[in-house]
Amino acid sequence: MLDKKLIKKVLDTCLESSADFAEIFIEDKFSTTAKLLSSKIENVTNTKLFGIGIRIADGYNSVYGYTNSKEEKDLIKLANNLKASFPGESKGITFELGKLQKGDRHKAKRLPDEVDIKEKVDLLFRADKAARDYNDEINQVHSRFQDYVQNVWIANTEGTYVNDTRVRTRLAINAVAANEETKQSGFNGPGGSYGFEFYSDVINVEEEAKEAARIAVTMLHADPSPSGKMPVVIDNGFGGVIFHEAVGHSLEATSVAKGTSVFTGKKNQKVASDLVTAIDDGTIENAWGSSTFDDEGCKQQKRVLLNKGVLTSYMIDKLNAKRMNDKPTNSGRRQSYKFQPTSRMSNTYIDNGESTFDEIIANTEYGLYAKKMGGGSVNPATGDFNFAVGEGYIIRDGKIAEPVRGASLVGTGKDALMKVDMVANNLSRAQGMCGSVSGAIPTDVGQPTIRVSEMTVGGTKGAN
Amino acid sequence: MNFNNLFKLAKEKGIEDLQVYFSESTNFEIEVFKGELDKYQISDSASLKVKGIYDGKMGTVSTEKINEKEFEFLINSVIASAKEITSEDEVFIYEGDKKYKEVTGLFNNSIEEISAKQKIADTEKLEKIALDLDDRVKFVQAFFGQGKTNVRIENSKGLKLEKLVNSGILGVYVITNNGEDQRTAFEYVQSNDYADFDLNDIAKKAVDKGVSLLGAKSIPSGQYEILLKNLASASLFAPHVTMFSAESVQKDVSLLKGKLNEKIGSEHITLVDDPFKKKSSKSGSFDDEGVATRYKKMVDKGELKTFLHNLKTAKKANTKSTGNGALDGIKPSNFYFKSGSLEFDDAVKSMTKGLIITDLAGTHAGCNPVSGDFSLQASGFLVEDGKIIKPVSLITIAGNYLDLLKNVTGVCNDLRFNFGFIGSPSLKIKSLQVSGD
Repeated sequence: MLDKKLIKKVLDTCLESSADFAEIFIEDKFSTTAKLLSSKIENVTNTKLFGIGIRIADGYNSVYGYTNSKEEKDLIKLANNLKASFPGESKGITFELGKLQKGDRHKAKRLPDEVDIKEKVDLLFRADKAARDYNDEINQVHSRFQDYVQNVWIANTEGTYVNDTRVRTRLAINAVAANEETKQSGFNGPGGSYGFEFYSDVINVEEEAKEAARIAVTMLHADPSPSGKMPVVIDNGFGGVIFHEAVGHSLEATSVAKGTSVFTGKKNQKVASDLVTAIDDGTIENAWGSSTFDDEGCKQQKRVLLNKGVLTSYMIDKLNAKRMNDKPTNSGRRQSYKFQPTSRMSNTYIDNGESTFDEIIANTEYGLYAKKMGGGSVNPATGDFNFAVGEGYIIRDGKIAEPVRGASLVGTGKDALMKVDMVANNLSRAQGMCGSVSGAIPTDVGQPTIRVSEMTVGGTKGAN
Repeated sequence: MNFNNLFKLAKEKGIEDLQVYFSESTNFEIEVFKGELDKYQISDSASLKVKGIYDGKMGTVSTEKINEKEFEFLINSVIASAKEITSEDEVFIYEGDKKYKEVTGLFNNSIEEISAKQKIADTEKLEKIALDLDDRVKFVQAFFGQGKTNVRIENSKGLKLEKLVNSGILGVYVITNNGEDQRTAFEYVQSNDYADFDLNDIAKKAVDKGVSLLGAKSIPSGQYEILLKNLASASLFAPHVTMFSAESVQKDVSLLKGKLNEKIGSEHITLVDDPFKKKSSKSGSFDDEGVATRYKKMVDKGELKTFLHNLKTAKKANTKSTGNGALDGIKPSNFYFKSGSLEFDDAVKSMTKGLIITDLAGTHAGCNPVSGDFSLQASGFLVEDGKIIKPVSLITIAGNYLDLLKNVTGVCNDLRFNFGFIGSPSLKIKSLQVSGD
């Protein structure tokens, strides 16, 4: 991509200052998206992203800049502009870039550029048909296909020199069911670090589309959700978004390092019920949030965040490690060259427990069963979180009863974690896009079915 | 960048008409934490979006590699893209309007002329002012950002349009703590006129808000009268804006379908799309398709007057584009409910038992714009007999957005914009379902 000598020259230029660290991040990304609406292909677009980010730091103080140009004069100019922030004497740091290390994990079998666009578009027609065939009440389907190859080269003044290729694809299906009275939608968006083989070897497109349609139709016939405090059973898979939002973000060094997280200074303390062991693992083969290297050129790894309720690790990037006097966990991620990397989640999940799904339901006299979660958000400084429930049911006398819609869950992360009183053994993961300071990145959320003994449920119907 | 060879190549390859949208930006962002510069970011970037009509279909492509060597890829991609499209909608490349209004205030030199050093000093000062205002302020992060964008639209029908806009933001994020409870608040001013950045005012508003929320607790569930504060109202409105797009109407995913010239809100509600608003980077004399923009009332005293159209939806609905064409469909310019005459303080005094909602969280997930149903985490203040009694948090408010618009009983005179272009004054609402204890 960029000549190694030029990379060295840019980094050397950065060190002609009082800085002790410099990094260059080169990104070349090719993506294809296709959208279907009303059973017609509305749009197909190829997009080429290209840019170079340069970061210079002294301790944990850093400056960042980017450009679309790969010309030497532009890169040296950017380096000169940035290093002006560190006008002190040079620290005389010398380094050599080693042999280029290439990412060799999560290999794709059928690369996006080896697959005809017609095959990609055909997935959308198949999803559309399957969703519409599910039930007459489905009156609209939007679906979107995306695949991309993101090639990054990362070099820094510690001698890191790596190239990682991330191939990812996702099919997102949104089905709308309608009757005289209302419209309800159902969403399903499977994806992974795969090439096109994802659609033949890993998922069944028709089944995934039917799932979106099933949720929409179920919610069409649902009653308004009750409100008030009650036990809540959160199902596996995307239910893990609760941990991602309510706890995961507060364990990122981004908020821990500055002391703004509710979990700052809580390492080795009990922050959750004994039943909760939670993991962030960027090495899971071909998972949506996996990569060989993180966006600071370090090998992705597995981190045990909570072990039986005790906080054992934060997620930490290079610079925040200095601020925290802790070790990096190789959690530096970013959307693109337009963002400085910071600590982010990869594939985050609560580990299996010992109950079964059936036991959890049978042991709940009255409560909400959140089968499918929607999105949510958290304020890391207070731990206050909120989630939308995409598909919910009332549990009555230990049995799943009528469906309810429009429910949301609110609470604080610490409270909810302490109140987890049952964890099943059916761990699964689902895909999402996580937005934070370094942009929107692919992450998996996951968990087995869990029960929280008491949570605030917000709904349009009054308290029971 | 000269696109003549691109247009030539397009013609040779059988593309009927071609349009380029070329934007170049420079940005500068800083953050200050504990008296130190915590973020300093500079950038220069450009992107080129090309669309072309091939065999009656619109093909599209986008790139950040901008040089003549890419032209072949761009043209091939446009053709490959057009070949897969099965939508039968008629598509257009626009020859242009006879006249474009001269819009002033899109670019203000003040923000460009002031040195980076001064901006850093002011941002540091903002942090310090906020920190010193109250002992309970435990953490402050101040930030400043500015951007300059030049947009060029050129097409094979001879249209050439260009605009230069700039924008700036100065703000502060505070965390307050009284030993028992911790709260956050956020305040900012957005403008391209550096004189609009009043450090003391921004700091005071943020600190007042962060301190007043300390000790907030949940309240019993029930129906409450609501005073939805301006920014909270704008954030609730944002996910529902797509209802007003003719594209949503034509695809049957808008609740407003078939409601043109009908009452969709209370008589207090007037909604406008204003492409000529001063100091907004969303303002301009033309949209992304090159169509001249215009000011319009979307909802007049509760009655729905028009949808937002681009060339494609206008043709289908047998009307004219409203100048709201976006690169990927339809977008509003500056979209806001007009201010009423009610003073916020008088609105508070008029409530016997109700809630002021100052913040809503999770509007990206807790709103369903297809059904209008929402259920959102909220915080604010409990009001009894016209007086603020205590701060409230960890509750949800739930309802349906169209019902909410119908139940607006008063509109305050305090219009504010949520990150630029969606605006609302504070709204007084008959009642909403609140879930708490």
